[in-house]
Amino acid sequence: MSEQASIKPAALRARSFPGLAALRKILREPMGFFGLALVVLILASAIFADLLAMYDPTKIAPQNRFQGPSLTHLLGTDHLGRDLLSRVLYGARIALLVALGSTALSLMLGIVLGLMAGYGPRWLDAFLLLVFDAMKSFPTIMLALTIVTLAGPSMVSVVMVVVMVSVPGYARIIRTQTIAMKTAEHVTAARSMGAGTIRILRVHILPNIIGPIVILASMDVPVVIGIEAGLSFLGLGVRPPTPSWGTILNDGFANIRDSSWIVIAGGLPIILTTLGFTFLGETLRDVFDPRLKGR
Amino acid sequence: MKNNETKGFAVNRRQLLVGTGALSLSSLLFPRNASAATGGILRVRSYSDLQVLDPAFMMSQSDQDIMQAIFTKLVARPAGDEWTWAPGDVESIEQLDEKTIAFKLRDQLGFTDGFGQVTADDVKFSFERIADPATGSAYAGDWAVLKEVEVKDTLSGVIHLTGPFAPLWTTTLPGSSGLIVSRKALAEVGGKITTKPVGQSGPYIMKEWQPKQRTVLVKNPDWKYEQGAYDEIHILPIEDEKTAEMGYEAGDLDYTWTAVSSIKRLKENPPADTTVIEKPSLAFVWLGMKNTTAPLDNQNVRRAIQHAIDTAAVVDAAYYGAASTATGIIAPGLSGHRDANLFAYDPDKARELLAAEGAEGITVTLDILNKTERLTAAQVIQANLADVGINCEIRQHDSGTFWNLGGAEADPNFPLQLYLSRFSMYPDPSWATAWFTTEQIGQWNWEHFSSEEFDELNKAGQLELDEAKRDEMYKRMQDIMEESGQYVFLTHEVVGVEYRNSVAPAIMPNAMPLFDKFKPA
Amino acid sequence: MFAYAMRRLGLGATIILVAMMILFSMIYLIPGDPASVALGPRATPEMIAELRSRMGLDDPVLVQFWNFVSSAVQGNLGVEALSGRPVLTVVMEQLPFTLAMVLCSITWAVLLGIPLGCIAAVKRGGFVDRVIGVLSVAVIAVPSFVVAIYALLLFAVHLKWLPAIGAGESGNLKSQLMALILPSLAVGLGWIGYIARLVRASMLETLEAGHIRTARAFGLPERWIIYNYALRIAILPTVTLLGVGIGHMLSSSVFAEIVFARPGIGKLVYEAISTRNYPLVTGAVLVTTAFFVLVNVLADLVIGLLDPRVRASFN
Repeated sequence: MSEQASIKPAALRARSFPGLAALRKILREPMGFFGLALVVLILASAIFADLLAMYDPTKIAPQNRFQGPSLTHLLGTDHLGRDLLSRVLYGARIALLVALGSTALSLMLGIVLGLMAGYGPRWLDAFLLLVFDAMKSFPTIMLALTIVTLAGPSMVSVVMVVVMVSVPGYARIIRTQTIAMKTAEHVTAARSMGAGTIRILRVHILPNIIGPIVILASMDVPVVIGIEAGLSFLGLGVRPPTPSWGTILNDGFANIRDSSWIVIAGGLPIILTTLGFTFLGETLRDVFDPRLKGR
Repeated sequence: MKNNETKGFAVNRRQLLVGTGALSLSSLLFPRNASAATGGILRVRSYSDLQVLDPAFMMSQSDQDIMQAIFTKLVARPAGDEWTWAPGDVESIEQLDEKTIAFKLRDQLGFTDGFGQVTADDVKFSFERIADPATGSAYAGDWAVLKEVEVKDTLSGVIHLTGPFAPLWTTTLPGSSGLIVSRKALAEVGGKITTKPVGQSGPYIMKEWQPKQRTVLVKNPDWKYEQGAYDEIHILPIEDEKTAEMGYEAGDLDYTWTAVSSIKRLKENPPADTTVIEKPSLAFVWLGMKNTTAPLDNQNVRRAIQHAIDTAAVVDAAYYGAASTATGIIAPGLSGHRDANLFAYDPDKARELLAAEGAEGITVTLDILNKTERLTAAQVIQANLADVGINCEIRQHDSGTFWNLGGAEADPNFPLQLYLSRFSMYPDPSWATAWFTTEQIGQWNWEHFSSEEFDELNKAGQLELDEAKRDEMYKRMQDIMEESGQYVFLTHEVVGVEYRNSVAPAIMPNAMPLFDKFKPA
Repeated sequence: MFAYAMRRLGLGATIILVAMMILFSMIYLIPGDPASVALGPRATPEMIAELRSRMGLDDPVLVQFWNFVSSAVQGNLGVEALSGRPVLTVVMEQLPFTLAMVLCSITWAVLLGIPLGCIAAVKRGGFVDRVIGVLSVAVIAVPSFVVAIYALLLFAVHLKWLPAIGAGESGNLKSQLMALILPSLAVGLGWIGYIARLVRASMLETLEAGHIRTARAFGLPERWIIYNYALRIAILPTVTLLGVGIGHMLSSSVFAEIVFARPGIGKLVYEAISTRNYPLVTGAVLVTTAFFVLVNVLADLVIGLLDPRVRASFN
């Protein structure tokens, strides 16, 4: 982790980041502005959920079940009479925790494995590539089912699923870029001056390849939220009564004939988050790294 | 009330408008058969796809529903609200004394596939094969007291028992273990039927099985007795109740069970041309407590949990007011049903007990199956426990993991404390108690409940033929269970059924269907 | 080209082998005894032991793996523990339903996604482009089971245009097609968005390319350039995307198959895992993985045929 922290400033320096100018560039694009606004909104509701929510998101009151939106419950109540707005706000915490946490973890693993494959001996590269491709050839759902049955449903399992699904992809991209970078002039120069492998990777290769992958990962955040929702739909997501958008959606699905507000309350934030992160990610990409556009 | 009616009318009128508009458009685009039950096909739902159509090895209620339409039986279960029995495909059947039963088959019963007439020897084969331990049938217990079936002539025979056996007329003979298969046919297929039945002999026969899609039953052309009313019965396997309800509303089914939580809504606002009924179920749902680990090894802590749980609120929340609370594991209408629980909801008492034991603020786990109703119930229990100062962590499992939690090879990752479970039942009290004996610890007795008195009563109950005495024995057994502090009895659930008004279903008191006896209304 | 194809196929086979190895080790770690789950409440310990040995669960995991691979090569995936039916038969019964649905979803995605992408590219930066852009991302975001349930409520329950459950009468093509429409829409909706975005991006790139500029310089009509030159090239990445997409669609088919009570491989695996029916799990996963790998090999070969650079990079 500390390794990661010490890397970051270098990476950001390398990718034209005197903050304000960048921000201005993002805001100038309408998509970027829209995306950033949505992401800030979601982040704010996650951080200030305690202040914004009017009710305890887990407080049940079965006699109030299936109420439509009203002044007391702005988004209505679910099948246990819990306030949906409060659950959505607290759900943002879980969603972002899972999404950001697991994406960060996948990135770290993906980077380490990708560097190993790209810079290491040929046999290691061949072996790792084979494992990546094999992992990627499972349909996601089957991996997810086996992992959750293995570890029991919980937030940790969801994170594990996401990591298993996304690491091979990240690692492959890092590997390709590492191989391209291996023969770059400044790397060969450093090697001839006797720099160690770790140092070459850390100082000369990583900062030059980390930018694009971070942007790609930010665009994957919605995919992660989708995986969480899907697992919750199958009853394999985070543990109750923890509010998550996926579980709200699942409650809504089970009670669709009694109230359609629950599905809306669970679905809307997922759509908004997806829009936010996708547009922000795309603007970042267009502003900082137009090369990636083909993806 | 008046207000409600007006509102109802408005909604109906709007639906009518949408409906007619759609109808004209849809009949132009896609001329589909709108009325479902006319013609000779009945389309019904089953919980799961068929797995094994052999009385000795059947896997589920769905298997049994099909088998009882395609095989002959000595004793039938009539449709209606009473658990009774009626003579099946026999000229006569009577109990000569408590150990002997004489029967004479009807003379025009035949097996399909050229296996000839149904004879007393086939009866002998069918029953003795289930009883024989070498067969390895899970249902050997149904014939635990069978000595032999004596063949008198082609059609008549005598069943000899080693002793009296109370469940014989309630569950064994009218159930799947009383179905008759062909000795010759079974010999030909190697002793076991799997998914393709051989030697069928009922009013219907299975024509076709399309896995995960439908099972098609057609009238048996050689059947000489009372004819089934429908030419074909299509049984569609649909696991999810909500899906089945949607399929019914879209017109793809004529008869289905509904989710318990939907009953109230469907009764208030039924789909067009539909009857919705509600039947008591025999199943039992309870909160079990395993007593082997702290803090639940302390009887007073368990007692506190019994007092802490507002069973009425749990059941109301989980089933949206459709089901009522239970007083034990034996449902109303069966002997042994209790009138009340011993330890009622009393949070103050619970807090008191916890304080006395110094057990405030303890944490327990609650394991459940990942079904909506179970999860809702668990969340109310969690809130009830929080109210008296017990933290409760809910853990959901898929069926594969869940049903292994309490077994002998239980997974050390999920040590069991509290759990919610549901057992389904046949209409005899011995079926409810059999799983809670000391012998069953590590198999189905996950609580590790153990009482010598209970074990003895469980044995004696099966042999007792006096109804009043039996009633007392089974009531006492549930008292012992509850006193142990290891059980909170929640509900027997109810069963909801919806069907087109054009169908007259034949169902048992717990809404289990007798497909061969369905008629157009 | 032939050597490239052989190498690519060889790699595909190795990938399948490694994937099965991973699956076996995961199953080995899963808690829950398949034999006792399968037999249910009334099983005796003797029966469980008997079934365990019949399922080969008492052998070491490597022996189990070897037995599986050596018989799988001969087309024998073992038998289902309970009914005794060959796993290959069970899987092959279900596979066509899922393939039909995936194919139908791809049709939705292609038929709607490509025109939308074209329009967006042509009207780049305009209002229509923005709307299509937002909509594409929005449909990608909606989980397929939410689409499924609303499609079901609207078109089957309220309007009664289409059947709600099942896969139609066997032998009746029309009823089977009707039963496909809603589930495939649910699975394919997000892909309309993916394809529209991809086509838009690659169209824009192509329109900047040299030969298009040449065509413009010759004064060919813009519409003609777009549909006859640019689109043909811009569609290529869609082939690759669909190759990968089939894997994702196989995943979302689980949800569609549950909501619409359709038969299919996704639901088969879901049920097989939750009942610990391992012969079925391994068989079905092997078949789907093999199918997925094969589709991707094919997609690679098509691209390789069209673009020699890809072939070179493989060395």
